[in-house]
Amino acid sequence: MMTIIVVVAVILVVIAGSQLLKIAELRALSKGELIYEVSEKEGKQSGLLMLGFFAAFMAFFAWQMWSWYGLKLPVSASAHGVDTDWLTGATYAVITPVFILTNGLLFFFCFKYSYSSTRKATFFSHSNKLEMIWTIAPSLVLTVLILMGLSNWNKIMTPIADEDDRVLIELTGQQFTWTARYAGADKKLGRSHVTLIEGVNATGVDATDDNAKDDKLVKGEFHLPVGMPVQFVFRSLDAIHSAYMPHFRSQMNCVPGITTQFNFVPTKTTEEMRKITNNDEFNYVLLCNKICGAAHYNMQMDIVVESQEDYDKWLAEQKTFVE
Amino acid sequence: MTTVTLENTNYKDEIRRKTSKPLMWVGIMSIVMFFGGLTSAVVVSQGGGSFLTIAMPQAFVISTFVIVLSSLAFHFGLISVKKGNHTMAKLSVGITLALGLAFVATQYMGWVTLHDNGVYAIGSESTQQSSFLYLLTALHILHLIGGLVSLIVVLVKTMKERYTSEDSVGMQVSLTYWHFLGGLWVYLFFFLRYSIA
Amino acid sequence: MSTHHHHAKDFLFTYIFSTDHKMISKQFLVTGFLMGFIGLIMSTLFRLQLGWPGESFEMIELLMGSWQEDGVMAPDKYLSLVTMHGTIMVFFLLTAGLSGTFSNLLIPLQIGARDMASGFLNMLSYWFFFISSVVMLCSLFVEGGAASAGWTIYPPLSALPQAIPGSGAGMTLWLVSMSIFIVSSLLGSLNYIVTILNMRTKGMSMTRLPLTIWAFLLTAILGVLSFPVLLSAALLLVFDRSFGTSFYLSDIYIGGQVLEHSGGSPILFEHLFWFLGHPEVYIVLLPALGITSEIISTMTRKPIFGYRAMIGSMMAIGFLSFIVWGHHMFLTGMNPFLGSVFTFTTLLIAIPSAVKVFNYLTTLWKGNIVFTPATMFSVGLVSTFISGGVTGLILGNSALDINVHDTYFVVGHFHIVMGLSAIFGMFAGVYHWFPKLFGRMMNNKLGNIHFWITICCAYGVFFPMHFLGFAGVPRRYYTNSEFPMFDNMIDINVFISVCAILAMIGQLVFFFNFVYSAFRGPKAPMNPWKGNTLEWTSPVEHFHGNWYGEIPAVYRWPYDYSKVNANGEYVYGEDFIPQTTPLGDDEKDGGEH
Ligand code: HEM
Ligand SMILES: [Cu+2]
Ligand SMILES: [Cu+2]
Repeated sequence: MMTIIVVVAVILVVIAGSQLLKIAELRALSKGELIYEVSEKEGKQSGLLMLGFFAAFMAFFAWQMWSWYGLKLPVSASAHGVDTDWLTGATYAVITPVFILTNGLLFFFCFKYSYSSTRKATFFSHSNKLEMIWTIAPSLVLTVLILMGLSNWNKIMTPIADEDDRVLIELTGQQFTWTARYAGADKKLGRSHVTLIEGVNATGVDATDDNAKDDKLVKGEFHLPVGMPVQFVFRSLDAIHSAYMPHFRSQMNCVPGITTQFNFVPTKTTEEMRKITNNDEFNYVLLCNKICGAAHYNMQMDIVVESQEDYDKWLAEQKTFVE
Repeated sequence: MTTVTLENTNYKDEIRRKTSKPLMWVGIMSIVMFFGGLTSAVVVSQGGGSFLTIAMPQAFVISTFVIVLSSLAFHFGLISVKKGNHTMAKLSVGITLALGLAFVATQYMGWVTLHDNGVYAIGSESTQQSSFLYLLTALHILHLIGGLVSLIVVLVKTMKERYTSEDSVGMQVSLTYWHFLGGLWVYLFFFLRYSIA
Repeated sequence: MSTHHHHAKDFLFTYIFSTDHKMISKQFLVTGFLMGFIGLIMSTLFRLQLGWPGESFEMIELLMGSWQEDGVMAPDKYLSLVTMHGTIMVFFLLTAGLSGTFSNLLIPLQIGARDMASGFLNMLSYWFFFISSVVMLCSLFVEGGAASAGWTIYPPLSALPQAIPGSGAGMTLWLVSMSIFIVSSLLGSLNYIVTILNMRTKGMSMTRLPLTIWAFLLTAILGVLSFPVLLSAALLLVFDRSFGTSFYLSDIYIGGQVLEHSGGSPILFEHLFWFLGHPEVYIVLLPALGITSEIISTMTRKPIFGYRAMIGSMMAIGFLSFIVWGHHMFLTGMNPFLGSVFTFTTLLIAIPSAVKVFNYLTTLWKGNIVFTPATMFSVGLVSTFISGGVTGLILGNSALDINVHDTYFVVGHFHIVMGLSAIFGMFAGVYHWFPKLFGRMMNNKLGNIHFWITICCAYGVFFPMHFLGFAGVPRRYYTNSEFPMFDNMIDINVFISVCAILAMIGQLVFFFNFVYSAFRGPKAPMNPWKGNTLEWTSPVEHFHGNWYGEIPAVYRWPYDYSKVNANGEYVYGEDFIPQTTPLGDDEKDGGEH
């Protein structure tokens, strides 16, 4: 019944609309005007609306900053993240004024130069000087941004070479859970292969490899010592996943068939972060950020960052692979 | 004022003459990109590490000679048409078609040899290299079938002496494509020879 | 009896299997818009889920059937909708719909040709597009649902039905549809390129071509070079899916089983896909930029500023778009040095883009702007191109991309810079060339209303998404409620969804205006906007051949608007000089004084 009423109402609106349009057209014609010609008055109105829109747009922008900017991720909990955040800020310092100015000019020109029958448009077809300026100016700015970005990128992407002074963890993604493997006392990860997956050996660690014997498999949550470089190695067993640890400004895809790597130094314990965010329930998380199946939206693992002693204690409690 | 419409055959004919070759060339560009994509896929996947080598069957070497000869024959056909020598043209195009079919046959023989040597296209016993080998050659044949169809059309028209020294665009387009197919095969042959086989 | 038969045949060849570029253009437009409308409805549906996760919408169960049990969308169906939405919008609406419509309509009319190089191939191009649209829509109804691996269809997810139901029959149909689509696109591009290069009328040198034509030419070239690579990627995927090859698959353990595939790499697919995928962004964008250049110049009654720079920057963008694809793959474990190279090339694209923006601004400066709906949408395009473009500097910088890659920041960025810009360009084109398409005028008032609703709601939808990105909210999430850290996002999500619904309603105004005007709008004069280009010299009524009598010859570039002589008077008494007007003795061509 409801459907019928809605359909009838829509039909009526459409018919009424059509009639109104026809009438408007005929009325204009009877006055010797053509309905599709934009009168000077209408043009001025549109120009004013353009200016109004810009004001509203900026107000909207400000309102969003005011209400939503605070929702952004808290201060970086990793060493390199501080640098990336700074560079992000620097980039914003460049693009925000550009965004406001160019949009401003655009809508202001629309207002200022809306049609007037008494004015002539200026025939101005090119100017090598101007074009040169706006080729070179962005180039210079970009060069700076690129150079800063690249030095940052190279620092982040270089694996930690010193095997003794790092924590080595392998993260394996699988629909829709994560498994962490700690390298154990020998600081080396043993071989693994999908054909060896069985029961608790969720990632297919090769038991015959000596390096594997003291490896530790962890699920649910994994721990990191604060201030210590952590070298991650990533694997996937099925679809592509992406290990995203937003609080550490860290992300890397997990691709079946190959391993990828990423490293960072956690600088704030979970406790410290709880104070910073004023939230007793705060937890670092690892989430999946590459579409991987129906439950992609819920593929997570908690991360606990704690002091070296607490970390050592926790690690000692975890069973090794052969146990 | 008389209305000029497209049904005015002169205009249509003029457009056909002016544009059929460029159409072919742009089409060839896209085929080049298609095979470019696939062969760079071979290169990218071999960056990964171990790959076995596959012995290139003798038949493929023969294929190469056959297709080069067919290109020459076709070219000679066009020259004959331009000189007005229809008998020679008929003969040349006929030979081209025969060589084209021979090419398909040698390719088939090549596959049989590969298969007998335990090189499989699909299924669990295939490897990436073997799949690529079959796929690339098969895709070339697929494009060649288009060339053969156009050859047949050209042959029929040559038999009817439709092509003249003034208007042989249709034949030229077909020839361009045929040369391209030949070139493509030679490229594939050497590419496969040095990257997989 | 025989006349009856004759009529049926006429109808068939005039409206269905027409080889007239103008009819084919209309066919592309209508099919593209229908697909676009479906894509729009899909986005509204999944916005309902994101705005009010888990809430029951029994009303739309009617529409959704088993996809919406108890009024709540299933997670994998959410992904189906997102995938189909993305595919339809990018390929069907903004590639075929946009290029197909305007390249077909404007190329012969603006360069002075009676039709395309090959009307037959052109017709085939449309019908392949039609078939691929039908196949794509059919895939919604097969068992397991439509493809659900995202529009980027990365394997292994897209290769394994065990991974997600949509990777069964739905994915197969997706691949079939896209292959047909690629053929359609290639046939179209082939024609556009050859027509532009070989069939220009007398006097129409390359430097007298309107910027629309330059844009269509470069777009077609990008298409011819990049779509075949997508086809090759799709082909290898078909083999992996159906014939047990291992191009993309290796070491997979799924559903308690180890698969036999070994030696392949999904990264290979990503390379092949993005080799098309990035140029595709410009295939979508360039026609819109061309259309806008033309409209802004005509409606400001000023020459476009920096005609040659505009062409140069489009060429630069086109060229660079082939060497930046890696910026989609910074986090796939690629060699960091390669990442640096891609950062460099990516940020280079910002330069020609900036040049275009500044040239648009200078064109508006000291103009005499006539605000038709087409003008407004063109202005809207410039605005979205700026607003979306600037955030590209964050995403293109590999170090910064780490933190926003695949978050809603990306969704905000690409919708504004590519989705909105291209859509605005398309709307602008429809309003501007409606008189050429249908011989009637659209209603300006409704057009204005449509514009204001669209731009406000569009920014309302996509601007807040950046803030979700700052908070680390990933894209392609069915709901954000599984993570306490996202609990505060619900306000933003509701805001976005409300704007999305309003935006959709706003489009109804357009559809009404479109349909009404096509049949009952006021009859169009030959040159309603006082334009210089050749299409305004061809008669309003359509017939196959475009001009009665000779094709007009061209004597000047297309942008002689408001050209004055030494006394400050218009050179020919009017503020526009059609391209068909011979150059006066003391006049120079190409905007030189
Ligand atoms: C009012 C109109 C639109 C709305 C509300 C909308 C909304 C969205 C949202 C929210 C997503 C992300 C969904 C997710 O990641 O879970 C999305 C994805 C996408 N949209 Fe739109 N969109 C609209 C129009 C367009 C247009 C015009 C385009 C054309 C370029 C477009 C192209 C895409 C693409 C390519 C994706 C990615 C799909 C994927 O992740 O596989 N959308 N859209
Ligand atoms: Cu996942
Ligand atoms: Cu890109």
